[in-house]
Amino acid sequence: MSILIEQDADAAALRRGTRQFLLAGAMVAILIVAAILVRQGLFRQTASLGFITDTAQDINKGQSVKIAGFRVGSVDSVVLRPDGTVQVGLEIDASHMRFVTRDAVIELRKEGLIGSATLEIIPGTDKTRLAADEATLTFSRADGLSALASNLRDKIVPILADIKTITGTLADPQLGLSSTLAKAHEATTSLNALLLTGKQQASDVGSAATRVLGKANADLGQVGRTLDTVNGALPVLLDKTQRIMGHVETITAEAETAVPPAVRDGSAVVTDVREIISGAKTAWPIRSLVAPPGTAKLVTDSDPHAEGARAVP
Amino acid sequence: MQYPNFLDVGFLSRGRPALLLCTLLLGACTSTPAPAPPSHLHVLAMEAQADAVRHYARGDYAGAMRGFTQTLRLQQSLDNTAEVARNQLNLARCELALGKTEAALQRTSLVSEPRLQTESKLFQAQVNLTLGRIKPAQTLLSQLDAVCKDDCTYRGSLHLLQARAALLDKQAPEALAHAENALRLLLDKHEEHETANAWRLMAAAQLALSDPIKALGAAQAALTIDRQLGLPEKIARDWLLIGDIQRSDNASQALESYARALAVAQATSLTEVIKTATQAIKENTP
Repeated sequence: MSILIEQDADAAALRRGTRQFLLAGAMVAILIVAAILVRQGLFRQTASLGFITDTAQDINKGQSVKIAGFRVGSVDSVVLRPDGTVQVGLEIDASHMRFVTRDAVIELRKEGLIGSATLEIIPGTDKTRLAADEATLTFSRADGLSALASNLRDKIVPILADIKTITGTLADPQLGLSSTLAKAHEATTSLNALLLTGKQQASDVGSAATRVLGKANADLGQVGRTLDTVNGALPVLLDKTQRIMGHVETITAEAETAVPPAVRDGSAVVTDVREIISGAKTAWPIRSLVAPPGTAKLVTDSDPHAEGARAVP
Repeated sequence: MQYPNFLDVGFLSRGRPALLLCTLLLGACTSTPAPAPPSHLHVLAMEAQADAVRHYARGDYAGAMRGFTQTLRLQQSLDNTAEVARNQLNLARCELALGKTEAALQRTSLVSEPRLQTESKLFQAQVNLTLGRIKPAQTLLSQLDAVCKDDCTYRGSLHLLQARAALLDKQAPEALAHAENALRLLLDKHEEHETANAWRLMAAAQLALSDPIKALGAAQAALTIDRQLGLPEKIARDWLLIGDIQRSDNASQALESYARALAVAQATSLTEVIKTATQAIKENTP
């Protein structure tokens, strides 16, 4: 019997140990699942954004959404609208919504131009106004490799055409580089001759100028001698002039005292003569010979400048 | 009783002193006392005025203005309002002759002497016509027409101004009628200047009525009188008018007339007439 009792105790211990092991394993499994779920962001807080575009090319569900190169969310939905446009929904970590401004732009870029496409949120300039949950932002597509190549082609083609024209002109025997060089050589030769001539003429002018200066110097010497002569004679002349001015002043002073009385006397004489004549005019028989000074009248003339003759058209 | 024989030489020689005395006494009783001679200032004023009138008659209008200004001052000192007004009018005439038309009109408005109102208004009308202001001139002339009838001294001048106004208003028949009336009134008066004006206006009116023959006769009559009076500007203008009359019938004679006008104007430096004559010669030279 004791062997059976001992076997029952061992079995119970075995069963207990098995239950503990299973329990621990279940807990670990649960923890692992929970960790996986947390890692997958199941318990993470998110916000929604959206945009509308013409085509869903290079846009896929689950595609990364980045800000400044860091993944902050993913494409949640890509829906074709009744009007033919495409509405794309994004799921963004709520903690990163502080970087998304109201005027932010969502740009589709290809990494390295030919790599996979990602959506990059480019914040706007007004950092104070943030985008709300479920806001619709502006979308744009960055130029891909084909667009860049097309732009480059458009710029290069005219340049190539100009180069072709220039090289053609340069190669022209009449208008080209060889002809131009020949003409330049001729011009250089003529210029050299001109410079030689000019140099010669300058040297001639220099000689003439030297002669003229020498003559001017001689003339100035003559002028100097003349001025000396004048300078010698001037004091005498000034003295004489001063004496004459003195005489004139004396005469003027005398005239000032003598002339006015003479004029007044003359005026008085004239007045007296006038009175005598006026009196004689009124006495007989002179008054009968002289017409009395009556009121003289202007001749009547209503058109002194004959303006009547100008009135005819 | 025998009366003395006054024809007897003996009687006459014996009674000569008494006869002479009686004659003198009789003469003294019948003669009126000589009027008091005018004062010195009066004489000066009258002489200055006469001098200014002579200057005006010679065409020296600036000298005439000086004379009349002196006369005005003297008459003002004598408080002679009538003569002051007369000289204001004379100064206005000088200003008109010198081309200061607006000044002449302003000065005339200062004349308030009742005896000079007709003459003053006539002169205002004349100045308005010179300025081309037909309506004010016609208003004044209508007022004068009501008060100055055929016995009025200025009736002839009034008709002449009415003729000028009518010509400016392009009323040639009315102008001709006034000119003829003026000529009729002036024929017995020795107003040669106005008579020449009347002939000239008649010529202008007849030219406007397209009657060159009568117009030419009237213009030549005006020219004859202006030559006698020795008035170069009027002579030149008469020649211009004759040229205008001859232009339609005889272009070469018209050119000669314009050339005569130009010669007279150049001799007396009448700038405006020179310009008009030169322009007329240029327009009519083929």
